[in-house]
Amino acid sequence: MPRPKQAAIAGVYTTKQGKLPDRTSFSLQLEAIKGACDDAGIPVEEVDGIIPLSMSDHLPGTTATQFWAAQLGERPLGLMETGGASGALAKAALAIENGMCEVVVLFYGKAGSRVGPRGTAATDRAPRVPDWSFYQSGAYMTTWYALWAQRYMHEFGVTHADLAEVAVFTRHHATLNPDSIMGRKGEITVQDVLDSRPICEPLNLLDCSLDNDGGYAIVMTSAERARSARTKPVWVLGGAESTYTDFYTTINDPWFPEEGKAVRRAADRAFEISGIGRDEIDVAGLYDCFTITTIRDLEEMGFCKLGEGAEYVKEGHCRLGGSMPTNTDGGLLSNSHAGDPAGMHTIEVVRQLRGECGERQVPGARIGVSLQQGWAVHGMAGVLVMAAD
Amino acid sequence: MSYRKPLPQIEPANQTFWDGLAQGEFRVPRCTNCGHYNWVPFPACRSCLSEDQEWTAVSGEATVWSFSVVHRGPGAFDDDVPYAVVLAKLAEEPRGCIVIGNTVGIDPADLYIGMPLRIVYEAIEGEDVTVFRFAAADAAQPDDADAALSVENQPATVA
Ligand SMILES: [Zn+2]
Repeated sequence: MPRPKQAAIAGVYTTKQGKLPDRTSFSLQLEAIKGACDDAGIPVEEVDGIIPLSMSDHLPGTTATQFWAAQLGERPLGLMETGGASGALAKAALAIENGMCEVVVLFYGKAGSRVGPRGTAATDRAPRVPDWSFYQSGAYMTTWYALWAQRYMHEFGVTHADLAEVAVFTRHHATLNPDSIMGRKGEITVQDVLDSRPICEPLNLLDCSLDNDGGYAIVMTSAERARSARTKPVWVLGGAESTYTDFYTTINDPWFPEEGKAVRRAADRAFEISGIGRDEIDVAGLYDCFTITTIRDLEEMGFCKLGEGAEYVKEGHCRLGGSMPTNTDGGLLSNSHAGDPAGMHTIEVVRQLRGECGERQVPGARIGVSLQQGWAVHGMAGVLVMAAD
Repeated sequence: MSYRKPLPQIEPANQTFWDGLAQGEFRVPRCTNCGHYNWVPFPACRSCLSEDQEWTAVSGEATVWSFSVVHRGPGAFDDDVPYAVVLAKLAEEPRGCIVIGNTVGIDPADLYIGMPLRIVYEAIEGEDVTVFRFAAADAAQPDDADAALSVENQPATVA
């Protein structure tokens, strides 16, 4: 039995994604806030809750929430939340339902810096980092996910070609998304992924998400306001979040326990709270920073059993036309990955539930789910279940 | 050429660990209440929450638990590609310790999950730090002359 509809996503917006040398992170964030409010038909002056997904670099030492409260008109705001996108949005819905605030905007924007290995310059002397930092071993995020992939492949007899299937279907989706960065480069094959240059074995270039600039925002409001908003409301049926932080330093054996970790906990709670069964999901947005991530998402979310994620992908469930089209915008692998893209999957699900997706539209999509995760794989996870009227 | 890769900004609480490396010991906090090892070190035991932990030298025996051969390195590491990053599981139990690190003397192509390793130590020239690496368990021990050289290269004062 789905939960009553009390809060809805009323506005979404994405700035141009790609190399944006003439933009600043701040201007992308402001553009995204204005854009999402405009999409909702709600004036920025009525925002009374904010979820900035990054620190402010304007005044060192101030929190991003304080900075934005001042920037957006020096009005006292009723909600300040940080952390993962889907989880934070789930809490924002509860805050709106309970009268803490009425209009919440979640936003992110990044320009001019890189998150991959090229973002680290060589120095004349040994830089100093925290005691257990993996930077001392020349590891970075891709390395950590590569270690995860290697162990996973070993335990479950999965091959690199199996992982590559994820890059192939997400690229296919990107070719149907005119705003995606990689869509115009056309379809890729499993062999293309295997032939792309190695970054951190077993992950090759086409197993990795993009590293680009961009911004986005999501506006959520009460049922009453959402009904009179400019666009079709996308109802928040429920969501949950979970944290389990290993700080990119160590993990426990097993890395793939039967009972799951943060994503499993968030997913179980989100489906329970929302009153929606996994088989009712028409469209999914699952965090896909690397090909291995999508496969593990499917298992941890409970769409298939542990060790069967690759098989699930090969059966075509995630592809447009399949039982649960996933990452229909091309995902982080082929659409956009700007700094912290935690909210991008929610935006695509909202657009699907509104029926705005053109060639990549999932016909009749009514119920969707977004998963955001990150921080050493299990560090932070959030799941949001949404529905159209 | 000086060492240009990241080194630890040693926290006072962890000084014993880094001192241990300089003495050829890999020390892991072990809970005196429940006996569990805890890696990475935390202020209290993650099994029983006791703050009573003792830095305990482990055997240095480990096995490859996972590994990656890196082809694009950050900063100064890019001069060394391809190089290996391993997650090595120490022999000690309970509460197995999985430690991230680099290898020495191992062709990355020879790595496999389950490969026996041992911890070796390398004093960094011109710096106040000794680091650890993972060598193949059956690799020759460094000879005494090499060890003496490493000690000589240690700065006189250790910050
Ligand atoms: Zn204990």
